[in-house]
Amino acid sequence: MSGLLRRMCDWLLRLFWATEMDITMIGLQNAGKTSLLRVLAGGEFTIDSIPTVGFNMKKVQKGYVTLKYWDLGGQPRFRSMWERYCRGVNAIVFIVDSADLDSHPTARDELHALLEKPKLAGIPLLVLGNKSDLENKISVDELILSMNLEDIKEREVSCYSISAKQETNLDAVLQWLISKAKK
Amino acid sequence: MSYSKKDEDAEQALFRVDRTSVFQEARVFNSSPISPRKCRILLTKIVYLLHTGESFPKAEATELFFGITKLFQHRDASLRQMVYLVIKELANTAEDVIMVTSSVMKDVSGAGGRAGAEQDIYRANAIRALCRIIDGTTVQAIERLLKTAIVDKTPSVSSAALVSSYHLLPTARDVVRRWANEAQEAVLSGSKSSGFSLGFGSSAAAPQGSGMTQYHAIGLLYQMRAHDRMSLVKMVQQFSSGQVKNPAAIVMLVRLAAKLADDDQQMRKPMYQLLEGWLRHKSEMVTFEAAKAICELRDVTDQEVAPAIHVLQLFLTSPRSIAKFTAIRILHKFASIKPATVNVCNMDIETLISNSNRSIATFAITTLLKTGNEASVDRLMKQISGFMADITDEFKITIVEAIRTLCLKFPSKQAGMLSFLSGVLRDEGGYEFKKTVVESMFDLIKFVPESREDALAHLCEFIEDCEFTKLAVRVLHLLGTEGPKTAQPTKYIRYIYNRVVLENAIVRAAAVTALAKFGVSAKDGASVDPEVKKSVVVLLTRCLDDPDDEVRDRAALNLRIINNSEQEVAEKFIKNDTLYSLPVFEHQLIMYVTGDQSTFSKSFELSSVPIVTREQALAEERNVKLRSADTPTLKAPTTGGPAKSSAGAATSTEVSSSTIANTQKHAQVLATVPEFNPYGALLKSSTEVELTEQETEYVVAVTKHIFKEHLVLQFSVKNTLSDTLLENISMIATPSDDNEATLEEDFIIPVAKLNHDEVGTIWVAFKRSADEAYPIGSFTNVLKFTSKEIDPASGEPEEAGYEDEYQVEDLELTAGDYLVPAFAGSWENVWEQVGAAGEEATESYALGTELKGIQDAIDFLGKKLYLQPLDGSDVAINATTHTLRLFGKTLNGGRVVAQVRMAYSGKNGVALKATVRAEEGGVAAMVVGGIA
Ligand SMILES: Nc1nc2c(ncn2[C@@H]2O[C@H](COP(=O)(O)OP(=O)(O)OP(=O)(O)O)[C@@H](O)[C@H]2O)c(=O)[nH]1
Ligand SMILES: [Mg+2]
Repeated sequence: MSGLLRRMCDWLLRLFWATEMDITMIGLQNAGKTSLLRVLAGGEFTIDSIPTVGFNMKKVQKGYVTLKYWDLGGQPRFRSMWERYCRGVNAIVFIVDSADLDSHPTARDELHALLEKPKLAGIPLLVLGNKSDLENKISVDELILSMNLEDIKEREVSCYSISAKQETNLDAVLQWLISKAKK
Repeated sequence: MSYSKKDEDAEQALFRVDRTSVFQEARVFNSSPISPRKCRILLTKIVYLLHTGESFPKAEATELFFGITKLFQHRDASLRQMVYLVIKELANTAEDVIMVTSSVMKDVSGAGGRAGAEQDIYRANAIRALCRIIDGTTVQAIERLLKTAIVDKTPSVSSAALVSSYHLLPTARDVVRRWANEAQEAVLSGSKSSGFSLGFGSSAAAPQGSGMTQYHAIGLLYQMRAHDRMSLVKMVQQFSSGQVKNPAAIVMLVRLAAKLADDDQQMRKPMYQLLEGWLRHKSEMVTFEAAKAICELRDVTDQEVAPAIHVLQLFLTSPRSIAKFTAIRILHKFASIKPATVNVCNMDIETLISNSNRSIATFAITTLLKTGNEASVDRLMKQISGFMADITDEFKITIVEAIRTLCLKFPSKQAGMLSFLSGVLRDEGGYEFKKTVVESMFDLIKFVPESREDALAHLCEFIEDCEFTKLAVRVLHLLGTEGPKTAQPTKYIRYIYNRVVLENAIVRAAAVTALAKFGVSAKDGASVDPEVKKSVVVLLTRCLDDPDDEVRDRAALNLRIINNSEQEVAEKFIKNDTLYSLPVFEHQLIMYVTGDQSTFSKSFELSSVPIVTREQALAEERNVKLRSADTPTLKAPTTGGPAKSSAGAATSTEVSSSTIANTQKHAQVLATVPEFNPYGALLKSSTEVELTEQETEYVVAVTKHIFKEHLVLQFSVKNTLSDTLLENISMIATPSDDNEATLEEDFIIPVAKLNHDEVGTIWVAFKRSADEAYPIGSFTNVLKFTSKEIDPASGEPEEAGYEDEYQVEDLELTAGDYLVPAFAGSWENVWEQVGAAGEEATESYALGTELKGIQDAIDFLGKKLYLQPLDGSDVAINATTHTLRLFGKTLNGGRVVAQVRMAYSGKNGVALKATVRAEEGGVAAMVVGGIA
């Protein structure tokens, strides 16, 4: 009986306080988007993650906030679809493999091309340099430079270095995301 | 969820649904949080629209599609199911549908975060949607998923995976073929899965609803192995031993077995045994399918078909209409092929002719028309007339076709049938139906001369008020060819000219051409009555003012021909008594246009098409009409472009069935051998006769070719020894003593050498002496050659071989080799005419018990004598006695008429008495002697 009461209570609270937010995760293939999402949702990190065909959606509950993650495939054939899934979301997360320097110029171009779309104006952006556990990774400052983040105007931009594998800095990511929920 | 709520949904979804409003409502997909109920209603509307034939333009479909993706992973299982249903439908129109692959895969694998029972609701739908959105390059990514799904223990999931694999096969053959083991497993475990109904209807007599996966799995396995006959055989045999319970799956096996029996003579017997076993299956649909398959077996024997007929007969008295209908429908079809075997059911069929179900009654009557005897025809016709007005055109056509066949079979009944046909011609009906009636009347005119005048009169009346231009044109053409031969041609001229006055240009043009024929030809080759000619000229001259070009041109051309003093040209042109052998013509044209590009460098060789007289063409046409009334339609599914090849095969068998075409085919081959040039035109070629068993060291077959003064034997020899080379191969064909004097060897063309599996042709030519027109007798045949063994190590033949001989079976040269079938409208007439002018010979024979009945004997004589059965006497109606009436010509053109009375008893087999009359001396005795 008391269990039922608690559930009622919970439900009422959620009804008035709960918010649901949409977050889109993009980035080149192999950057680690799917891996990161799995870890954020409380799952285990796996080495043999398969490339995402299209997109992948997961809902994660944090307190009274429901985060709805849209994890998009990074292969060239899916990039034209990114915009569609970025429209109207609370935040865009752009993930870069910070150890794969060769991919950075392409990543930068794709990112800037996307941000130019008028429909995405003003949406906050979080750039994550993933795989910080690897030897030849670059630092946050270097990443800001190579992604040309200084040039981005009229939108909130942050950049963190993280590791999905070792779960470094993920709390900061979560906090940043939740702060973007519309109250 | 209560029912009332559902009804509310339905009401909203099914009324006032239109595309624009649905598209606008699609906003609900983006609302947050999602309302599963609203979304489901909208999705239902979309499916409803698509189902009723509405289609969304590409942009709208794409927009909807991506809107729907926002609903993914919703906790409401029914919403997920709806989402997949819609995605599957939109997959063909929307763009970038590949985007949802990963998400759908998650649901297929069961990682969607719902409990097992809930997953079962939508997993099958997810699989079906998945295979629609995937493309050839991505199939590999879902391979593991589908393999697991195929062997899933939930039948709906397994079925969905199997069916999806089936659809993926054309796009990713190599990948899907790797799933054979899983499919095999699905068949075997399918028998264990219990009552999970997939919504397939279950009938009272055939409880089903379980094991449908077996059907899907077998269907998939068949598609995978379609090109490997041995593994198909194995599959049918393995699955027919009891593991497969689902009736639909067994029906599939039945069709496969029938196809295998048809494709491969070796498989005929084992497959027949399976089919026969299935006749006793407890499920009706299996029984029917097996019975149908047996009836459709190629060249099915009376003995083979008997059990199937028996089973069908039992169903005729079933209390349920559907069973009666199915049984009578199969019997009806089979009765066109072998009416005598269906005779046994006549009593039961008789009770169905007054059945309140018109479809059953129609089939019952038309079946009886085929199986019954002459006496019952009138009664049956009366019965049909009673309800002709109540049935659809399709059934009317069935009836008219049955009557058409009957007219040819019992010419003496023509009057009754003609009045029936003319009666229905006046009824309401569509083009197909009217066409069938008109064509039936054409056949009557062609094949039953007594009916000609009456039938023409009916047709004249028909075109007075005919709404179908095509039919009017055909009738006019016929009036043009047949009208002048009648006693009172002027009668028709009036009808035809009326058309010129009243009809559209196409009909007028046809009428002009028909009119012209009256100006040049008359009854029995007599010259045209000048009065008639004059009036035709007057009428044609009037047509010169016609507003239509074609009509004027035709009138001018024909006037010119009629007025031309050179009557011969006119007659040739307008009467046009010979024509190209149409089946051969058609076949050669097909070969020409379907050949590779290079064939077009030469123009089509019209001279290679044999010219036949109308008589010959009619004889063949009649044969075709009487026999192949129906050809089997429902076969096991085929893969790859079979349509083309089977069409090709059909034409070639049709062509080879005809004597003329067969000869024509050989003439082309013979023309390539210069030695035969001096022999002149080839008169006739026999069909090929095997002189050895198929399994011997040397396989030999022979074809006889008759020229005006020569006989050529064409031996085809195949070396089946893998370790031997044959050189200098010739054939010593020695005529038996009695015709040694009349046949003198001219030359032999040997074969230089034959490797393993090679086929060569040896030609042996004889001169036929002038005093014996038609030598008959036998040849002993000895193959002579040098045999060289091949060294297995080097693969080279040894230096010196040794001479060897090999005697093959004797060859008979018979009367039939000199005869060609010909057609005559009335056997009676030619019998009298030839009797008055020629010789007669009679002989009695006992053919023994080798032949299993009257029909066998008829077929045997037909093949042996090469004469044309007339008056429908090629169909046995009575099982114990029969009179066969034959007509044909010798290669020199002399007429040969025969009457064969036969009797059959199980103990003594067939006994017969043959009387032959022939115009040429000695021929009658020869033909009688040629029977046995
Ligand atoms: N060392 C290391 N490897 C990682 C990390 N995150 C992801 N990976 C590996 O990177 C590879 C690609 O990861 P995914 O998550 O599939 O990459 P993705 O961005 O989803 O790729 P697409 O779906 O094709 O766009 C996998 O082998 C992961 O194991 C990380 O933090 N450290
Ligand atoms: Mg991914």
